[in-house]
Formats: sequence, C-alpha cells, structure tokens
Amino acid sequence: MKRRAGLLAAALMAVAPAAMAQQGTLRIGMAAQDMGRLDPHFAVSTIDRVPMPWMFNGLVRFPPGSIDAAAIEPDLAERWETSADGRTWTFHLRRGVRFHGNYGELTADDVVFSLRKAANAQTSAVSADLRAVQTVEAVDPHTVRIVLRENVPNLLGILTNYAGGFIVSRRAVEERGDGFNRAPIGTGPFALDRVTPNQSAEFVANPAYFRGAPQIQRISYRFIPSDASRDLAFQNRELDLNYGRSDQTWVNRVRQQQGVTVDVFEPAELAIINVNITQPPFNDIRVRQALAMAVNRAELVRWRGQNTSREGQSLVPRGYLGFSADNGLLPHDAARARALLAEAGHPNGITVRVVHTQLPEMLAAMQVIQQQMRRAGITLDLQVVEHATFHQQIRQNLSPLVYYAAARFPIADIYLTQFFHSRSIVGTPTAVTNFSHCGMADAEIEAARVATDRAEQLRLWATAQRKLVENVCGIPLIETLLVFARRDNVDYGYELRGSLSLGPQITEASRLR
Amino acid sequence: MIWFIAKRLLAAVPTLLAVLTVVFIIVRIVPGDPALVILGDQATAEAAAALRTRLGLDQPMWVQYWNFVSNALTGNFGASLVTGRPILEEVGAVLPHTIDLTLASMVLGVVVGVPVGIWAALHRNRAIDVAARVLSLIGLSFPVFVSGIYLLLLFGLYWRLFPVIGNADLSDPVDRLHKVVLPAVALGLTMAAYITRVTRSAMLHALGEDYIRTARAKGVPWRRVVWVHGLRNASLPVVTVVGLYVGILIGNSVLTEIVFNRPGLGKIIVGALNQRDYAMLQGLMVIYCFLIVVVNLVTDLLYGVMDPRVKQA
Repeated sequence: MKRRAGLLAAALMAVAPAAMAQQGTLRIGMAAQDMGRLDPHFAVSTIDRVPMPWMFNGLVRFPPGSIDAAAIEPDLAERWETSADGRTWTFHLRRGVRFHGNYGELTADDVVFSLRKAANAQTSAVSADLRAVQTVEAVDPHTVRIVLRENVPNLLGILTNYAGGFIVSRRAVEERGDGFNRAPIGTGPFALDRVTPNQSAEFVANPAYFRGAPQIQRISYRFIPSDASRDLAFQNRELDLNYGRSDQTWVNRVRQQQGVTVDVFEPAELAIINVNITQPPFNDIRVRQALAMAVNRAELVRWRGQNTSREGQSLVPRGYLGFSADNGLLPHDAARARALLAEAGHPNGITVRVVHTQLPEMLAAMQVIQQQMRRAGITLDLQVVEHATFHQQIRQNLSPLVYYAAARFPIADIYLTQFFHSRSIVGTPTAVTNFSHCGMADAEIEAARVATDRAEQLRLWATAQRKLVENVCGIPLIETLLVFARRDNVDYGYELRGSLSLGPQITEASRLR
Repeated sequence: MIWFIAKRLLAAVPTLLAVLTVVFIIVRIVPGDPALVILGDQATAEAAAALRTRLGLDQPMWVQYWNFVSNALTGNFGASLVTGRPILEEVGAVLPHTIDLTLASMVLGVVVGVPVGIWAALHRNRAIDVAARVLSLIGLSFPVFVSGIYLLLLFGLYWRLFPVIGNADLSDPVDRLHKVVLPAVALGLTMAAYITRVTRSAMLHALGEDYIRTARAKGVPWRRVVWVHGLRNASLPVVTVVGLYVGILIGNSVLTEIVFNRPGLGKIIVGALNQRDYAMLQGLMVIYCFLIVVVNLVTDLLYGVMDPRVKQA
C-alpha cells in the first residue's frame, strides 16, 4: 500500500514540474476574468491595456519605464516637423517596419487609416482624444501630414504608444472586420498567438521587430481573478509577474518572499470626491468647505500604505504636466468643519445619501472617509450597489457626492477636461465624467490647451486648479500607485518608474535570466 | 424509449422559452450599461449612444426579444457584446472543463457518499454512524473557497503535487486529470456529505420495511438483503438527489473555478453579469437550462432501469 502511494506521489511529482517549467516563456498573472477587446482603440480596461504596447507601436513613444511627457522619443516616425503656425505636423516614417504575420511593411496609408479610425466614435472608444485633428493624409508612402483644427502643442502626447496613438494594419482591419478585436495585427515586439477565453492570452516573439528580435520567446498572460489564488500561484513559481494590490500589508508580505521584487510605479490613480455644486446643501460653499476640511488625507495614506500611496494635493495627479499644488487646498480641521456647517444653518450636521460601488478597494476607502466625515458632523448614508449600477447611477446625478479614482494621460488638460469642463457634465450629450457640474475654469482649460508658450500654459492650468479647488468642485483624497511583483529571474531591460499601459512593458530588451 | 426521450425533449421547449423570456427581462431591468463597460469611463455620451445603436440596444424591447428568440431557435446565439466572440465558441471552449469538473465531483460524491451512507445506516447510532454524521455536517458547512484554499496550500504549495493554476490543456488527458483532482475534491466532498445523509436515511427507511423482514425470515443472507433488497429500493431517492445536485454542482462550480483558476460556465456567467453582456447571459442561460433538462431526462431514464414500475407507468 505504501509503495503504491509512493508511486502515485512520484507520478504526480513528475507531472507537476513538467507543467510548471516552461523555459523562455514569461508568465504573467492578471486580476481579471477574461480579456475584452484587443483592438487598441477599444482597449480601455486594465487587462486589455497592459499588452497593447507589446503588440503595437505609435508614431512616437514614451521611453520604456517612463511616463515623462518631456521624454517622448521617435517610434514608428523617425523624425517630424511642424509648420510655423503649429497646425500642420509632418511625420517621416521609419522604413522597413513590418507588421506581424504576412501583413507586409508599414506605410503612411496604415498610419492615416489608424488615426482616422481612432478619431471616429464608431470605430474607437478614445475618439475624443483626437478631436483636435482636422485631417490626416499620406504625402508619400513614408510621410504623413496631420492638420489640426487649432494649435495643440501637446499633439505628440496624443500620438504616443497609448490609446488612440497605436498604429494598426489597415489590411488586417479590413480583412478581419469585427474579428480584428480577437486577432489584432500590429508592429510590436510580440504578436498575439491565441486567446483562450477565461484562461489566457498567448503572445509570441516577433523576430522581424524593427528594434531587434525579442529575447523572450513567449508571453503567457493569464487571467486569475482571485487575489489569493494568484498570490499562491506566484509563490509556487507558476508565475513570473503578478499584478499586485496597492496595499501596504500585501507589499510587505510579498517583499518577504525570497527572490522577489515589488515594483511600485506611476501613473498614480487620484481619488477625488466630486461634489455636485448644484444640489442642496452643496450649493452652499460653506457646506462644501466643511466637507473638504473633514477629510484627513494623512490618515488615508497611513491606512492604505506609505509605499503605495501619497496624499492628493490638487484636482490633477502629481507628476502630470501642469500639476499645481499652489491651489488653496483646505487643511483637515474637523472643528472648523463643524463650525462652517453651523454657519450654513446645519448646527446638528447633515446626512447625505451617497451611491457607492461594492468593489472592495473603493468601498473600504469610502468607509474610512465615512468615519472621518462623521467626526465633523457629516453622515454619509452609503447606498452600496454593484459596480456597473454605480457607473450608471452616478451618471444620472443620483449621488451628490461621487467618489471616483482615475489615472489619465499625464497632462493636466485631460483630467481637467474630463472631470471639470462644462462640456463633460454628466447628463449632457457630450458628457464624460464631470459629476460636480463645475464649469468655472472652462476658459483657462481651453486657453491652456492651445497655448504655445509653455510658461503661460502652466499658469493657466494652475489658475484652473486654484478656481476648482477654492470652489470645492472636488476634494482630492489620495493617489494610489500601481504595484507588480516580479521574480528576480525577470529583467525588464529598463528601470520601471512608470507605464501608461498600467503594466510592465515587455520589450525586445526584456529577458528571463 | 426513443418516443419517451423525444416527448421529454419536446416538453422542455416551453421551459426553455420561459427561461429565455425571464432572463431577457431580468438582464434588462438590472441597472448598468453595456456600452459603458465596452467603451470605458472616458467615452463621451455620444460615443456610448453610437455603440448602443450599433449593438441594437436602442431598438424597441420587443424587436430585441424577437431577434433573440428567432436566432436562438436556429441555434444562433450571436456574439458577446464585450469581446465580440461568438457565444457558442466561448461556451464550447469552456464546456469541457465544466463537464470534467462536474463529472469528477459527481463520481467522487457518489463513490464516497453512498458507501459511507450505507455503512452509517448499518451501524445506526454507533460510533461509525455518529462519525459519518458529524463529518457530513462539517462537509456541508465548509464553503468551497475555504476548503479550496487549504487544499491548494497543502497539495499545491507545501507538497507541490498539484499546480495552483488549474487551466488544463484539453488535448492532454493526463493534464486534464491532474488539474481536475483538487477542484473535484473540494466540490465533490460537499456533495459526498449530502449524499451520505440521504443514503443513510433512505437505507434506514428501506431496512425497516416488511419485505426486508420477510427476506431475513426466509433465510436470505444479510449481505444479499442489504445489497439487493435494501440498496436497490434506497437508491431511488439517492438518484433523485444526484440528478438535482448536478444543477447545483454547475452553480457551485463558480467559486471552485475562481479559487482553482479553472475556466468554466459558472465563471463566464458571473463575468457576463458583471459586464452586462446581455447576449452572453441569454445564450448561457439557454445552454445551462438545456443541460439541466438533459440531466433530468437521464435521471428519469435511470428510474425506469432501477424500478420497472416507473417504466410501466
């Protein structure tokens, strides 16, 4: 009997390591159930965004590991020039760049097609990013001309390897139609091999990649929604990279494992309480100020973790071009908050019904804020609903306070436009995520967008932030950074300080030691 | 027999239609917008409206219902609103995993539950019976996400006999078997606990019947009395429970699939619900309902095999 049990164990041991050892394959665990859309212009969720720069390039790019807009460098375009009025940009394409499979060489036609596709609301989820683009045309097979409606000094930011800037194969899109979502073709270092629904997406190295053949042969991108199971798989060496939790306890625990590095990187997701200034009692500035003074950001950072979060200082995340901390943000003062409420005619405090999501991370944060508000006499009556319901209800103005956390392209314009420009007010045809109904900084936001003088642009953005903060359109809370755990056998080939795809870029220089 | 099966399948059509209608209505009553899920939170209201038009979600409800039912009746369930993949393709990719897990858990549940139940009945109120009852109570009380994590810790991390990631390669039978063991144990033990209790109770009832006393008085050996006269009569309620439990197993498999990182029907249903993927939810419900109908049919056929009176009726 013992011998039989021993044989069974030996047989199982023989199977297990075989399944685990896959040389040359980078195994990544993501907190998701399945991928959505692999067309880069529809890739909006984290699970879809992470692999985009593995498969696609832009005309220009952020250097791997960086989200510094000042460091943008050539990618598919090797050089470019602008007209004197700043409205016409001409890009000269790199030669010899080939699409995956048999989709041939990249030409200006592909670039024109891609940018037009990205700018069209029917064929893109990010069309609003390219609204300044008036025309895109091919001058010759290797030259593209973009004419803008207005001078947009930050055009390069729109054309990076991010969202609408990704270049796709025209022939592949036309041939595959809706199937392109499942079988995309780009020029990146890795090509999609296959997607197994609810399991994984497999990528293979593109040996014809224009920067050189990747050193990693395959990427197995695995969908593992359970945090506990993903952590166990990582600990069991079945994963090389693990999507982490922005939580100090998690970081400390994983750092104790041997041969493991925890990377904490940008962009930070800034959480804001958006205050609907049109709804009583928040149409009274004193009540909004009381709300702002009730929030204790230092306490929030202590709760979430010093390594993974930092205090929100403005209504634009830190590190974004145009961020300004000189904005008159009110300090925490619960006693003063109570006094302000009394002045506004609420000596016994107020009770507010707030719609909030049941997503554990967001719910926990809101519960901490609920306690802080209670100390200042503000009772938040949380109506906890399922996440998709939350998104729908906050867009129907059903909650006067909206907790919202987001990371965007690292330029102040995007954040300010989407959250605080009057065109973005929820309930209107052009709505995005302006829950506060504020529009007092429209002029500055619009002027900054087309300002050619960088100092003037920064001044305008700073003014916009001051106006919005002083009017308490939103209350900045905390900024939460991205976290990935990595086994020491993985070398990215660069220092990971930031990634707009919200995950590590795997490049031709990345390798498994 | 063929006529009986055909009749049963025909009788299932109204049930399927009713399920289709209820699911169609429910998924549309629940708040949440698939366009927002697909386009993300940076999309404008205009872009979301354009997508709703493209997906046909802005059409009158009865038009959507008619399109869905008429397509479903021809076996066309359409494509997922979120991934764009054909629904049958998505289901086909995971169905073998669900069947593997359901069958393995069921076999384990029956192989463990029935003998333990008989054994407990034969030793009524003795130590073995008490132990069986306590263990079955523990088995029923232990949620699969707790037992699953413990199994992974022990057999995956500590002894390294099984992988933590359980998405098997369907073309490799050894890999399939290897990766179904732990989840089947987690799910099957709960079923075993339930079957133990049912078997014990049915067996005690059967052993108290007159025909058992008569058989013993006629000098039939005890072993034969138990296995032929007792078990055969006790097995009818057990088969009923097993048949009903298959539906529960598929439902319970959601947590098992999540904990053991297995693909499966349950996981897709939860994903479709979270993403308001109406098309996927509707297609899945029809398939799920059809599976239940088939299982019930098989259960009915088994009745006939075990009890000739049922066949005659």
